[in-house]
Amino acid sequence: MLGRRSALKASVALAASLATPAIAQTRRRISFLTWNIIDQEPLIRGWIESFQRANPGAEVEWLDKKGPELPPFYQTQLAAGTPPDVINTQGALWLEYAANGALMDLTEAIAGDPAVKSRFNAEYLANWTYQGRNFMVPFYITKTLLFYNKPLFQQAGLSGPPGSFDDILGFADRIKGGDRTGFLTLNFDWLYWPLFAMNGIELLTPDLKKTAFNTPKAAEVVEKLARASDSGAINKISWTGRWVEPNGAFGAGNVGMLHAHSPAYYFFRGQGTWVTPESLGVAHAPGGYSTPNSHGLGVSKGSRHPDLAVAFVKHVTADAQAGQLANQRRILTGNTAVDTALLAKLEKEDPTVHAILRTQIEHTDKMVGNWRTPLDSRIKEAFWPELQNALLGRKPAARALADAERRVQRELDRA
Amino acid sequence: MAGKVGWYGRKRTRELALIVCFLLPSLAIFLLYRMIPLGWNVVLSFQSWSPMRPARWVGFEHYEEMFLWDDVFWQAFWNTLIWIGAAPVAIVLALGIALLVNSDLKGASVYRTIVFLSYPLMTVAVGIIWRWMYDERGGFFNWVLRSTGVIEQPLGFLASFDMALPAVIVTDIWQVIGFYMIVLLTGLQSIPQHLYEAARIDGAPARARFFRITLPMLRPSLFLCAVIGLLNSFTSFDLVYIMTNGGPGHATELLITYIYKAGFGQTKFDYAAAITVVQFSLLLVLTVLANWAAGGNAGAVERD
Repeated sequence: MLGRRSALKASVALAASLATPAIAQTRRRISFLTWNIIDQEPLIRGWIESFQRANPGAEVEWLDKKGPELPPFYQTQLAAGTPPDVINTQGALWLEYAANGALMDLTEAIAGDPAVKSRFNAEYLANWTYQGRNFMVPFYITKTLLFYNKPLFQQAGLSGPPGSFDDILGFADRIKGGDRTGFLTLNFDWLYWPLFAMNGIELLTPDLKKTAFNTPKAAEVVEKLARASDSGAINKISWTGRWVEPNGAFGAGNVGMLHAHSPAYYFFRGQGTWVTPESLGVAHAPGGYSTPNSHGLGVSKGSRHPDLAVAFVKHVTADAQAGQLANQRRILTGNTAVDTALLAKLEKEDPTVHAILRTQIEHTDKMVGNWRTPLDSRIKEAFWPELQNALLGRKPAARALADAERRVQRELDRA
Repeated sequence: MAGKVGWYGRKRTRELALIVCFLLPSLAIFLLYRMIPLGWNVVLSFQSWSPMRPARWVGFEHYEEMFLWDDVFWQAFWNTLIWIGAAPVAIVLALGIALLVNSDLKGASVYRTIVFLSYPLMTVAVGIIWRWMYDERGGFFNWVLRSTGVIEQPLGFLASFDMALPAVIVTDIWQVIGFYMIVLLTGLQSIPQHLYEAARIDGAPARARFFRITLPMLRPSLFLCAVIGLLNSFTSFDLVYIMTNGGPGHATELLITYIYKAGFGQTKFDYAAAITVVQFSLLLVLTVLANWAAGGNAGAVERD
């Protein structure tokens, strides 16, 4: 006969053995892949801890990759069937993932939670839509603007920022001389496209199926840019450098204007002793045109815990977390309340950063170079080298544009 | 049947089994990490595939695109051949230096160390340093050329369609020349001195000694340098990626950088696989040619 003590032990053991798999089942693990923000480790670990506290049984693994490493990593994880649940991408990279079914459609998740939908800047949120569906939400936002070197402007007899494309070239020509050049632009991810947009040039037709850039006006604009590059008015690094070289050149104090997105400020400020609130001018590019280069958060369709992943995205973009990110990095997040509070604070604390960030939420209806096509990277690769050929004087503008048209159209047709 | 021996009892079979046992680990790795990926790569080159969609057979479509339509592929192809063509230049220079440091030159060991120093450096670091040296505004070369009055306007070495590829090749030669020199120096020091003594007694001039003794005796070392130079041409990804990323335009694009861009930049892994097949075929042809030029038995072990 089973003793009372033995029966008690047996029932405890049975309960424990039954409970173990249940506990194991409630443990849900997701991964969070970020784009080169390893310097924010304490902040992100804090977000993960607070998320795990609010969601018992949830575990978040954080992975961070440098820019060039992130796409290969994500693609190999997709091929292996183990994509990171939450992914942070930059620029237009997400479009290819979204169009090919790698990302989850977040439209319902956003629309179903009014508090979430209303937290985002509508223009920036719209930047993450493909075929009317939202695949990502803003994580932190940037777009291009025009920085200018006031002392060089004064030496050239100029008082304010350029108001047109021809002004840019004219001002640059007046500034150039010796080691000085007048104008520099970043060129990756279509960041130079405002120069074309302000001349009314379109890359593609509205249905994104045909090229639209090979026009006499475009040839005229490219010729002007090529001539200015040849004369030294435009620094040639505009067409050959990527990030370090152009920002470094502007930081050195020998360049009149830099067309770049807002994070460039933090780079060249660290390199140039001349950069002070009095010496640095901040303005919109003529016509208010800009190219966004923001970071977004999305959820992989292959996520094993999509609800948890969506909850994590909402957690990270909520006021508390977005506020920490905005204050720590002094960037805008696309969370309207957080950005408004940051700008109000910076207006007194750091007027230069305030002026720079202020441009990021102005003229958001004039954002260009952000075509919603999954072929973005292929079009870029077909277009840019031919444009370089013209800008650096290897081909006449008309021929380079014709060659670019042939190559871009082939990519569009093959798709 | 005392005189009959089973198949395992034969000495030759036992030797063979032993050799196979020794080779098996490396053969397994070779199969797993070389042959299977290579085979899959060939299959992939005939498919339309990306990590986001299932594979579909497309036959020779990628090859047709590559050979008939893709002018970037042809530019990368010719650039790769030019890069390969630069290897003999580096070997000749290295041979000159090796002959110098092998002579009675005072401080030869110091020069040898200095020349070799460039080789162990990380290629990424070399690329960054040389990129700044070529810089149009603050670069060393422009500073020297302008200070000495050779030029008035700075030269954009890496921004120029004509100068970018030679500039990157010069950097590559600078880095690898120390290695070639050490290989050739080892070869020079293994040449029996009595051959030179006999030639001197026979009154052979220095030129004849070089062409009749030194060069023929250096053939294995020269072949080794040529093969390494060939492989280096196909794997010089990091230097180009750091210095120019294939630009301006595609002026410094090599097949290897183009493969990377097609695969990871544009998610065209299938097309990248087709270019890889072409690159592999080119490497195979050139290796066979190099072996033929070296007498046809390079790498063979002579048995007593």
